[in-house]
Amino acid sequence: MRHKHNGMEELFRLIPDEYATVIKMRLLGDKISELRIRNLAPVRICYGGVYYYLTPSGISKYRSEAFVASANAAENIVMRACEHSLYAVTETLKKGYVTVAGGIRVGVCGSGVMTGNVLTAVKEFSSVNIRLPHEIKGCSSALASRLSAKLKNTLILAPPGCGKTTVLRDLCRQLSDRNINVLLCDERYEIAASMHGIPTLDVGVCTDVVSGIDKAKVMEIGIANMRPDVIIADELMSGDLRSIEHAATCGIAVVATVHAKDEHDLKGKREFEGVVADKLFHYCAVLSGAPDFGMRITEYGT
Amino acid sequence: MTVKILIVFLCAAVGTAGGYLIMRRYRRDKCYFDGVVKMIGELKHNISYKRDKLKGILENFTVSGSVQLQKNIDEYVEFISSKSEKPSITKGFLSEQCYADVCELFASLGNSDERTQIERLDAFSEKFGRYQTEAAQKYMRYGTAAVKLGFLLGLGIGVLTL
Repeated sequence: MRHKHNGMEELFRLIPDEYATVIKMRLLGDKISELRIRNLAPVRICYGGVYYYLTPSGISKYRSEAFVASANAAENIVMRACEHSLYAVTETLKKGYVTVAGGIRVGVCGSGVMTGNVLTAVKEFSSVNIRLPHEIKGCSSALASRLSAKLKNTLILAPPGCGKTTVLRDLCRQLSDRNINVLLCDERYEIAASMHGIPTLDVGVCTDVVSGIDKAKVMEIGIANMRPDVIIADELMSGDLRSIEHAATCGIAVVATVHAKDEHDLKGKREFEGVVADKLFHYCAVLSGAPDFGMRITEYGT
Repeated sequence: MTVKILIVFLCAAVGTAGGYLIMRRYRRDKCYFDGVVKMIGELKHNISYKRDKLKGILENFTVSGSVQLQKNIDEYVEFISSKSEKPSITKGFLSEQCYADVCELFASLGNSDERTQIERLDAFSEKFGRYQTEAAQKYMRYGTAAVKLGFLLGLGIGVLTL
C-alpha cells in the first residue's frame, strides 16, 4: 500500500508561481531532475540530464534570457519546504538539506551559526538545489536478477546525479516483490519518501521502511527486531562501515551506494581502503549516468 | 393588572438581556486568552517531543468557545499553505496592544530551532497568561454582576414605569 503523491505538485508549491507556470506549460515533468535557485542569480534547471537556464519561454542555453531569483528566494523556498516549521528540520538543515513530500530533496546553502565548534543552526540561506526523484522501473534488473539468485553485499558507485537512488529504489522494489524481506534505511526520505508511515514511491511489498534515522542505528536495531534478508541504504559514509561489517557477520546482505566515479575512485578514498582490501562487498555496480545511464557490474570475492 | 405584570416582566427581561450581552463580551475575552494559552501549551508540548509541523499541530488543535481565535488560527494555517511572506491576522475585538502581541506570536512561529522556539513560546505563555488572568478576573467581577444588575435595573425601570 502506498500513497500516490505527485512530486511535481510539491515542486510547484515550493517555487515562485512564474517558474511553476513555465514548467507546467512548456516542460515535461519527467525530464526535470534538478532546479537550482541562487539569490539574485539566473535560475538553472537540469532537463534530460543537461543543464539549461529557466526562462519565461521555457529553457535556454543563454543566461541573458533566464529568470533571476529574488534576494530572498532561497529563504522563501526553505520556509515553504519545511512548512514554516524550521524547528522540525533543524537537524537535516545542519546536514545541508530539507526533505519534502514525494521524495524531493532540497539541498541548502547558507551561513552556519556556531557555538564553539558545534554547528547549532543555519541562517541566511543563499541557494537551494531542488532534486526530484524518479521512478524508472526495471533500471536495476541486471543487478536484481543476480541478487535474487543469491544475496550478497553490493556497492553501487556513481558520482552525484547519476541515478544511484533511482537504481536503489528499483532494486528494493524488485527484490521485495520476489518475496525477499528488505529493510530499507531511508535516512533522507528520498527512497520510499514515506508520509505518515506509508511509502509514496514503490519500494515493493516486502519492504520495511525506517525513515529519518541514521544507517548505523537502523542496522543496530533493525537486524534484531525485523530480521531482514537484505538491508538497503543510500550514500554510505565511513562511519557506517562498522555497522555493515556487523550486518555481514549476522548473515544479512547489505546493498548500499557510495559517491565514487568507479572502483579506482573508491580505492582512492582512505576511509574505504579496508572495504576494498577485505572484499567486504561481493558485487560492485558502476553507473555511468547521463546520457546512456548504463550499469557495469563487477564481481569480487568468492 | 396582567398588563402591569407583563410590563415589569418585559423590562426585567430586557435589562437581563443587556447584562447578558455585557457578560458575553467579558466571556469572549476570557475564552480567547484561555484558547491562546492552551494553544501555546500544545505547541510547546508537541515541539519538544513530536516536532510535528505547525500546520498539523494547529489543524488538530481544538478551540473551544472562541470564534475569533479559530479564525486567527485558520488565517495562519492558510498563510503556511500559501506563498505570501506574512500572515494576515484579523484584529476583531482585540485591543491594539493585544492584537500586536497576537501578531508577534504568530510571526514568531516556525522561524527558529527547537530550543529557541520553546524559549519564545515560554515568553509568550507568560505574557498571554497575564492577559488571561486579567480577563478571567474581569469576567468574574463584572460579567456575572452585569446580569444581576441588568435584571435589577430592568425590574426597577418596570416598577417606576407603572
